[in-house]
Amino acid sequence: MARARRTLRETGTTGVRAWTRRHAFSLLSSLGSLARYPLASLMTVAVVAFAIAMPLALHLALDNIERAAKQWERLDTLSVFLEIGIDQPGVDRLTSRLSTWPAVLAVDPISPQQGLDELSRQLGLEPVDDLLADNPLPWVLEVTLAAGTDRAALIQRLQANERVDSVLVDLRWLERLDAMTDVLGQLAWLLAVLLAAGVAVVIGNTIRLDVQNRREEIEVMALVGATAAFIRRPFLYSGLWYGLLGGLLAWAMIAAGLMALAEPVARLGQTYGEPVRLLGPAPAIVVAAVGGSALFGLLGAWLAVSQHLRRIDP
Amino acid sequence: MISFQNVSKRYPGGVHALNDISFELGRGEMAFLTGRSGAGKSTLLKLIALLERPSRGQVLFEGRNVGKLARRQIPYLRRRIGVIFQDHRMLSDKRVFDNVALPLMIAGVSFGDIKRRVRAALDKVGLLDKEKMYPPMLSGGEQQRVGIARAIIARPPVLLADEPTGNLDPALSAELMDTFLQLNQSGVTVLIASHDLELIKRLGQRVLVLDDGRIVDDVGRRGGPGSGDSDG
Repeated sequence: MARARRTLRETGTTGVRAWTRRHAFSLLSSLGSLARYPLASLMTVAVVAFAIAMPLALHLALDNIERAAKQWERLDTLSVFLEIGIDQPGVDRLTSRLSTWPAVLAVDPISPQQGLDELSRQLGLEPVDDLLADNPLPWVLEVTLAAGTDRAALIQRLQANERVDSVLVDLRWLERLDAMTDVLGQLAWLLAVLLAAGVAVVIGNTIRLDVQNRREEIEVMALVGATAAFIRRPFLYSGLWYGLLGGLLAWAMIAAGLMALAEPVARLGQTYGEPVRLLGPAPAIVVAAVGGSALFGLLGAWLAVSQHLRRIDP
Repeated sequence: MISFQNVSKRYPGGVHALNDISFELGRGEMAFLTGRSGAGKSTLLKLIALLERPSRGQVLFEGRNVGKLARRQIPYLRRRIGVIFQDHRMLSDKRVFDNVALPLMIAGVSFGDIKRRVRAALDKVGLLDKEKMYPPMLSGGEQQRVGIARAIIARPPVLLADEPTGNLDPALSAELMDTFLQLNQSGVTVLIASHDLELIKRLGQRVLVLDDGRIVDDVGRRGGPGSGDSDG
């Protein structure tokens, strides 16, 4: 009995160390099979990388656009239409009063004459005042808001003033942009889900072919007493590697893309007179993309291997 | 050790490979299984290692009905049985060393121990200088001996061999049988399927004769393990 127990320990079928050794064997075996067909492995990794990079790039683009839109919003102005019949000193008083509000960065009064000139220029007409006996336009104050202003509250406060006729906010294009980025953001998520499933399918298919090619090896392993888990493990590791390497390659492609775009984007920013810098993905996003890719690789491998090993039935 | 009780095996399509087989092989016993090809020798061996399941009857291994064994228990049964196949079942893209080491890697033995034991096993079958070769570079006899090394490396209590001398010349066959005898003397239960009647007779061990799926003769059955009388 004592001898039997010793033999068992000698053959190392139990214990953490034996478990570790078996895992090390599976790990090396999986790396070996990846290295045996480097071109095929590289192609699988590349396909996975493209699938991961696409939604990631879309997410990044939207992230940057949203950030830029925030800046544009700040640059936006309110048009405050004053009552007809207000005189120049009245306008000046209101202008200087509004300028003292902390929420207001600048106030730029536009006289009815200036407004009419601008209008006729925009319409490409002869000076309109020739046609009109009386200038129908009111005084307008272009109010530039300070950063972080509660726009709605300010508008209310402006409208409360008895000299103010109405406040016009031309934010429609920004709202449209917002809505559009929302749509594209949803699309990015949808794409991410679809392509994650694609990653699982691509890796699963690669593993399936691998299982087919190594059918003989699997049978022999089963003959000499390998458990199903032991046979499955190298394939699961392979799936994990494909996903992980694909995710890392996707990240590298994104990083390269950001570097290539940095220069033209900076030039674009200069034309607007303000520095624009592309922001890379947040660390959490990178971890999620690479980790998710590895996870879906593992999932695909697991599905393929379980399906296929059952059919081989060693 | 191994006991067949009214075992039948019928393959899909109605082919009766084995028909109502009953025999017992004691611990430490050695026996040959002979008969024409197609008599059911391979099927009988496969039933022991659970490569096939019996259609009827019971196969007991160490007192346990292997037909009732759960799927996940099968690997542990196979680790207690070394099998040598007629077609070697070598992995052609793995070196001789790795082929022989496979059962130990599966068991999770440390690499130092694997190295030592694989060398010892290869030495025993006279192939120590071929450990870095790939199986297709070896002759049929050499591959067969690699198969033996793999079958004995994990020191299983039972050794099954299917036509181990199938394509060897007489001198090599005799040498191989010596190896089996030695293993048997060290306590391993050995069952060998072979149609090499000349060789079998010379060794004077128990012989089970199969014909058309039935045992038609059981010659030289020993009284039990250890007793040396034989009348074959």
